[in-house]
Amino acid sequence: MNAVITASGLSKRYKNAVALDNVSFDIQPGRIVGLIGPNGAGKTTALKALLGLTDFQGHLSVLGLDPRTQRDKLMEQVCFIADVAVLPRWIRVREAVDFVANVHPRFNRAKCEAFLARTKLTPDQRVRQMSKGMIVQLHLALVMAIDARILVLDEPTLGLDILYRKQFYQSLLEEYFDDNKTIIVTTHQVEEIEHILTDLMFIRDGRIVLDTDMEAVGERFAEVLVSADMAATARQLNPLDERQVFGKSIFLFDGIDHARLQALGEIRRPSVSDLFVATMKGTYA
Amino acid sequence: MSITWNDSVPIYRQLRERVVAMILDGALNEGDPLPSVRQVAADFQINPLTVSKAYQELVDDQLVEKRRGLGMFVTDGAREALLKSERERFLREEWPTLYARLQRLGLDLKTLMREAAQDTENHS
Repeated sequence: MNAVITASGLSKRYKNAVALDNVSFDIQPGRIVGLIGPNGAGKTTALKALLGLTDFQGHLSVLGLDPRTQRDKLMEQVCFIADVAVLPRWIRVREAVDFVANVHPRFNRAKCEAFLARTKLTPDQRVRQMSKGMIVQLHLALVMAIDARILVLDEPTLGLDILYRKQFYQSLLEEYFDDNKTIIVTTHQVEEIEHILTDLMFIRDGRIVLDTDMEAVGERFAEVLVSADMAATARQLNPLDERQVFGKSIFLFDGIDHARLQALGEIRRPSVSDLFVATMKGTYA
Repeated sequence: MSITWNDSVPIYRQLRERVVAMILDGALNEGDPLPSVRQVAADFQINPLTVSKAYQELVDDQLVEKRRGLGMFVTDGAREALLKSERERFLREEWPTLYARLQRLGLDLKTLMREAAQDTENHS
């Protein structure tokens, strides 16, 4: 399969800081990719580059197009939801639907109205009268009705309550995502999306420090619960991380044969958040 | 629906085990359709590839069959096949340890059966 996004040597420098430092990656179609990083790591800059919203050095191809010069064409195939509300506060639901129907050639009005019918939004309601969760519902209804190939979500559920957050991902999986679509999502609520993801990218200080598919995570990384008498042996295998619980140590290993680890103690697949914490150690220090 | 996954077993295996348990319990009968990949992915908030992988294993084990355009269905004889393999697995993996323990505790068949009968009485 051909990658839908290819980046090589992607760099972006702001006046005082490097936001992206020679980043390279490929994204395949039909994947749900989590781009995870601490604040200021370069996530939003990377997404902006993909969407043609910022200039950059290096090579970047999105659906075979250059976001810098072919943005109009790209926007027919790429949708975007950001945590920053972009819907004008005065607009009514039906005006928003009319607007997208007019400007977007791949928008399906019937589909959008079907999504809206399942919410409490009414056609005459204005954005300013909506809660944050309702605004995201409207945004999602507009975006899911567009038959785009790439959907970019930048902290899409930030500030939403747990009901809205759950519903958000449920709708995406049930009614939007398929083999031809690709979703790229950034979020700090990693636990929430960890099982939804097919691929994981960690970004730190403008560099991609981990780029793996989720299945490989369980093969490559392992968490082992080691009792005190074996701890010294475990340390010799260069663990990524070590923490103490109930008189035992939990070690996180990268790329050590699981058969070898079995001798040390009980093996578990690390959660994405444990992996993240271990990988990002010292970021703010 | 919210469920917790066990970190020491891949999710697709746990999903497979769930379907197997449903077939054994009779919650899913032979010829019944499985929920669609999309539905399961949305309900459990897991990625569709994970669900497909679990379903594919069930297909490989001939417990489930793909009917073109219709989805996945529990095959005829799935329950019988499962019972057979689960019985064999029990006898091979669990029974030797269990037997050894019964021996150690000095529990004979008569005592065990009497306990089981009483237990059934108490429950009914």
